[in-house]
Amino acid sequence: MMRSAIIGVMACLWLALNMVQASAQEAEASPPPNLPPPTVVTPPLPPMETVEADISTRSLEVTTGFTGHEIVVFGAIDNSQAPKDDAGSYYDVVVVVEGTPFPIVARRKSEVGGVWMNTSSITFNSVPSYYAIASSKPIEEIAGPAVLERHAIGFRHIKMMPAGNSGAGLKDSQLAAFRSAVIRLKQRKDLYVLEPEGVDFVGRSLFRSTIALPANIPVGPLVARTYLFRDGEVVSAHIARVTLHRAGIERLVHNFAFVYPASYGLIAVIIAVLSGLLASVLFRRKTA
Amino acid sequence: MNIYLPIAEMSVNAALLLGLGGAVGFLSGLFGVGGGFLLTPLLIFLGVPTSVAVGTGSMQILASSVSGAMAQYRRNNVDVKMGMVLVAGGVVGSFIGVSLMRILRQMGQFELFVSLCYVTFLGAVGALMLIESVGSIQRQRSGQPVPTRQTGQHSWVHGLPFKMRFHRSKLYISAVPPAMIGAFVGFMAAIMGVGGGFVMVPAMIYLLRVPTSVVIGTSLFQIVFVMAVTTLLQAIENKSVDVVLALILIVGGVVGAQFGAAAGGKLKGEQLRFMLAALVLLVCLRIAWDLMVTPAEIFSIGPLIGGGL
Repeated sequence: MMRSAIIGVMACLWLALNMVQASAQEAEASPPPNLPPPTVVTPPLPPMETVEADISTRSLEVTTGFTGHEIVVFGAIDNSQAPKDDAGSYYDVVVVVEGTPFPIVARRKSEVGGVWMNTSSITFNSVPSYYAIASSKPIEEIAGPAVLERHAIGFRHIKMMPAGNSGAGLKDSQLAAFRSAVIRLKQRKDLYVLEPEGVDFVGRSLFRSTIALPANIPVGPLVARTYLFRDGEVVSAHIARVTLHRAGIERLVHNFAFVYPASYGLIAVIIAVLSGLLASVLFRRKTA
Repeated sequence: MNIYLPIAEMSVNAALLLGLGGAVGFLSGLFGVGGGFLLTPLLIFLGVPTSVAVGTGSMQILASSVSGAMAQYRRNNVDVKMGMVLVAGGVVGSFIGVSLMRILRQMGQFELFVSLCYVTFLGAVGALMLIESVGSIQRQRSGQPVPTRQTGQHSWVHGLPFKMRFHRSKLYISAVPPAMIGAFVGFMAAIMGVGGGFVMVPAMIYLLRVPTSVVIGTSLFQIVFVMAVTTLLQAIENKSVDVVLALILIVGGVVGAQFGAAAGGKLKGEQLRFMLAALVLLVCLRIAWDLMVTPAEIFSIGPLIGGGL
C-alpha cells in the first residue's frame, strides 16, 4: 500500500515537473523577432539534468517500542537524456544519509602483564553518528577517488579529524588503524551501512532507495544527500532532511534523567522501595 | 517483544530481561544472597554499558532488599546503632566509589577496574566458601561434631579508640572497624553494582563478633540505606540508572525469588554453600577469562565523557 502510494506520488510529481519544464522550453525556443537569423544552425544543447529527491517521512519518533525504521529516499531526474525505461545505463545515483556528528573516543587494547587493557586512545572531534550510502552501483565504479573525496562519499572519505593534540604521538599508520576501527565498529552496530546496489531506477527518470535505520540509531537530524552522476562527474545534487526525536515514555525518562538528575534519582529510589514493599505484600498474601 | 531502554539507549528483548531477573531472583532466593554479583556481569554480557549495569544494579538491589530488611526489623533482628555506623561509613564509601567511577570512565579504564574487582572479590570469597563448605560436608560424613564458634575472644579490633556500646549485639567496641567495613562495602556497591552482603556478613561475624542472630538484619539495614544513596549518586554523577531496565529486573527478580526460597528449603546448608561457592567461582573465572584471552577486537569506541582527559 505505502509503496504503491509513494510511487504514485513520485510519478505525479515527475509529470508536473516535466510539464513546467516543457512550457519553459517552448518560451525559449521562439527567438526574438528583430534579430537576424543565425547563419550557422547548431543543434540546441539539451538542458542540464537536475535531480530532486525527498524522504518518505519527515520526522520519526523514537519511543519505548522503537525497533528501527525503514525510510525511502526517492526522487526524479529532470531533463533525463536516458533512453526510455533505462536511466541506469546513462546515470548513476548515490544517496548518502548522514547523522549528526559527535565527538567520540576510540581506544586500543594491548596486553599488560597478562591482562588486556586500554593503552592508547584518540578523540575524534566529529564523527557522523550514522552514515549510510546507497548507490545504483558500487561507488568505486561510479567515480574516481577525487570526486568522492570532494563530496565526502564513502567510508574512506568520512571527515574524521583527531581533536586538539589527541593522537599527537601517533604515526600515520596508527591513526589510519584507529580510523578504520571506528568505521568497522560502527558497521558492526549497523550504524554505517553500505548498499552498493541500493538505488533502483524506475523508468527513465525515477529512482528509489530503501534505507534501514537500526534500533540503536542516535536521535537527531539526518541529512540525505542525493547525487546524480554522469560519466563519473556529479551533475546535480539535492539535500533532504528527516529528524529523529524521542517521544513517549522514552523521551520523558531520558530528558528527566539528564535535565533533573537529582529528582530522577530520588524517584528511582522511591520506585525501588515501593515496588519492593508491594512485592512483599503481594507474596505474603499468597503464601498466607 | 523488544523494549527500548532510555538510559542504556539500546533495544532489548523484554522477555529475555524478565527471564534474567527471574533467574537471578531464583538463585538469590535459593542461596539467600542479593544476587548483584550475578546480575551486573550478566547485564554486561548482554551488552548493557558497564556503567548503566552497575548504576541500575544498585536500584534493583534496593528493591529486593527492602522487604527483607523490613521483616528483619519487625522481628527485632536489627542492631540499629551498629547499622547507623555501617551506613555512615557506607555513604562515604559510596561517594568515593561513584566519583572514582566517573574519573575511570573518562580514562577508559572503568571496565577493566570493575573486572579486576570482580575477579579479586569473587575469587577470594568463592575460594573461602568452597573450602569451608567442603570441610563441613566432610566432617558431617565422618561423624565429627561441627566446631562451634568461640565467643568472648579479644582481637586487635578491641584495642581501637572511639568505643561505643552496641546493646543489641552485646558489644562494647570501637566504632572505627564497623565504619571502615561500611565504607568498604559502600565503595564496592558503587563500583561493582553489588549489595556487598557477601563481604559484610563474614566481616561482622569474624572481625566484629556480632551475634549471628542480628548479622543478617543489620547488614540488610545497611544495604537498603547505602543502596538508596548509591542509586541517587549514580543518577546525579554518572546518569547511569535506567528505571525501565530496573523495573523489568525487579518484577522478574521478585517472582524468581519466591520459587528460589521454596527450593532452598529442601536443600542442606552445606550443600547450598558449596553450590553458591561453585557459582561464585564460575562467574569469577568467566570474567578473568575475558580479561586474559586475546580479544577478537582490540579497538573500542565510546562517547566523550564530561570534559575528556
